[in-house]
Amino acid sequence: MLAALAIAVPAFADSSLTATYQGHAIGFTQLSSRAGASAIGVNDPGFTALLRDTGAFLTWKPGERFVLITTSVPTVVSFAIGDRRYDLGPIALQASFAPYLVGNEAYLPLREVLRALDLALHEENGVAVLQPQLAALDVRQEASRVTVFAHGGATLHARIVQESPASITYAFDGVGTSLGGTRQVGTGGIGSITIANAGTVREPITLVTVQLQPGTIAEAPQNTDGRDVLLAFDGPGATNPEQTAAQEASPTPEPPPDTTSASAAASATGSGPATVTGVTVEPAADGVSVAIAITGSTTYEWHRLREPDNRFWVDIANAQLQGAPIDQTAPGPLLSVRVRQVDPTTVRVAFSLSGPKPIAFTSSADGLNLAIGTEDVAGEARSGSGGVGGANIAAVGAPLEQSEAGTGSDGDTTWKFGPRSGYVATNPRLIVIDPGHGGSDPGTAHGGASEAQLTLDMAKRLREILIARGWEVQLTRETDVDVYEPNDSAHDELQARDDIANKAGARLFVSIHANAFINSGPYGTTCYISKPDDVAFARAVESHLAADGTKDDGIVKSHLYVTLHARMPAVLIETAFLTNPGDYALLTSSAWRQKVAQEIADGIGQYAQEYPVPNQPAQ
Amino acid sequence: MLLAIVAAGTWYYVSHRAPSAAETIPIYYTKLDGKTLAEMRVSMRPRQADESATERLHNVVLYAAVQAIAGPPNDVQAIRFPPGTRVLDASVKGSTATLDLSKDLERQAGGTFGENGEFKALVYTITGIEGIAAVQVLVEGNRLETLPGGNVELDQPLHRSDW
Repeated sequence: MLAALAIAVPAFADSSLTATYQGHAIGFTQLSSRAGASAIGVNDPGFTALLRDTGAFLTWKPGERFVLITTSVPTVVSFAIGDRRYDLGPIALQASFAPYLVGNEAYLPLREVLRALDLALHEENGVAVLQPQLAALDVRQEASRVTVFAHGGATLHARIVQESPASITYAFDGVGTSLGGTRQVGTGGIGSITIANAGTVREPITLVTVQLQPGTIAEAPQNTDGRDVLLAFDGPGATNPEQTAAQEASPTPEPPPDTTSASAAASATGSGPATVTGVTVEPAADGVSVAIAITGSTTYEWHRLREPDNRFWVDIANAQLQGAPIDQTAPGPLLSVRVRQVDPTTVRVAFSLSGPKPIAFTSSADGLNLAIGTEDVAGEARSGSGGVGGANIAAVGAPLEQSEAGTGSDGDTTWKFGPRSGYVATNPRLIVIDPGHGGSDPGTAHGGASEAQLTLDMAKRLREILIARGWEVQLTRETDVDVYEPNDSAHDELQARDDIANKAGARLFVSIHANAFINSGPYGTTCYISKPDDVAFARAVESHLAADGTKDDGIVKSHLYVTLHARMPAVLIETAFLTNPGDYALLTSSAWRQKVAQEIADGIGQYAQEYPVPNQPAQ
Repeated sequence: MLLAIVAAGTWYYVSHRAPSAAETIPIYYTKLDGKTLAEMRVSMRPRQADESATERLHNVVLYAAVQAIAGPPNDVQAIRFPPGTRVLDASVKGSTATLDLSKDLERQAGGTFGENGEFKALVYTITGIEGIAAVQVLVEGNRLETLPGGNVELDQPLHRSDW
């Protein structure tokens, strides 16, 4: 029994230890003891080597209370000086003793540290061995399919050593375990799972035997990650695994934490979008009355920030704002009102109050009415929801507590550079096109294709179309060069591109890019924006790019330098992913690049028609 | 979806107790659609008797930052920080948390898609801590305007409202 061989840890008190790990020796020199158990100093060279060898690292420096170890899983193991409790991902455990300090050295309980690294310390013939463990076996059921996730402290391979209609046994070479025993499952075509040790301390083997019920089929083991193996079983009546895989490959997106608009939008009813036609603020006997005129049927959510930030906002889902955004000061307990389209389907009416005032909501066929009182109140609700125009009032849950403080995309919090800038193009016929990257910065390169070259090609195609439609066009670069200077910083390079548009007083700024990721999964076209002025422009462009042949990833707000510092409406278009085979085929097709250029031009034309410059004919 | 864990590693289940909701904090990561945030909750020890409010806030920020940089377990599909990225230091001044990250952060291979997803998740995680409204990111102690070859502006504190 391997457990019986476990080294009596007090033997290492104030001593050193050499242990074998994966065939090589690691020397520990800063061992101590506490409460009858071994402690390891965090600066022990052997400990440092062990962390490195297991793909883990430690976050701690003298003066810090928390000692954090990030494992290769990754799981963050949280120890704290003076506290026996330690946290391992979502669970809390008790260590044999509390970590402690000796001078500038923190000492941690050795056994618990090793467990967190999925290792166990054993002895064989007087030699200490750090043995990787089969550390966890999670059995999960989905319908009649059962999956067993095995996680180990070393690279796992599941070798089938016995197979019959009644059972199958896998051998995991190189790992031991303390999970020995039999567990009844009794579902999904699996009767029980038995885990047993075999092999030796130095060459351990863990055997996992799964008892199968009649008709259950064991799929081939899969290595999902170096240290993880997935065993899957299809019980009697199971659906085709390929169908299941296909369903899992396209899961329903979860709502983001800032569900202020997303959840409301999902619950909105009605066949078409509602329209916010105006907001009227009038003094009332006991405060202020606000009428938000809405045609159509939809839902809304409102949120209030914590004191002393006396702002609140109402998000009207599945709605379009008719006319220009509104910014106005207001009487009484209201300080200001702002109305804007915060994303393609949400209109936000944001208020600043002079204090924590009471707010009462009533809805009608004409929209939403708010009665804002004058007396300060305490303990008011910070969120709510409802419907207008006959929409079902959805049971929209209160937002996450932690989502509230910074989620509001209203005036000052969202748009650091203020609401719509009032930018006036000194050359309203000029469009500046920025082919991303270039020169010493090729951007993404994949399969022989260079982002810098592709973006320049698309930019030139777009220029040709725009000029034919009567626009003036300036490219930030005409060839494969840096705009500022070779090997410059990203800041200098991006600012130089913005400078071209800003100094020329351009009407619009379009930065063209190709996206990338570390694997081939993600694909699609994304329009990134950063300022209020960008929203309508991006909406117009995105509406045309949606048909470009890859997935439409919509408009994404982000804190991007080049769009933030372009004074005019700007959009950064990540046209497609060079790292995705389908998108790659599109990007390397001149016909597709021409199509994208055409669609961007159409979006520019649409925006110019929707937001004409006075005395300037739309192109 | 019916998903039931019917057995698990005994190591973790012999002596642990499930923390109450008050003893967990949310860590966000960005899913592979590049936009949607998902939440995982991690256990958070209660404040200790000799832990001042100031130190407590620092400790929570440090812990959350290390968790956010680590991301969810490898079998979860998520946008991840470049391998090796570490939190070198965390500090809080007013309602702004400053995180000093290792230079590994600059090894971005995921384009705007990855960069945007990484910082969005980090900022949502840290500003989810009561009292923190913004996050200033440093790299090896230096305030950068952007990462090399990057697009996200970093020279000012980032807010949730930047996304």
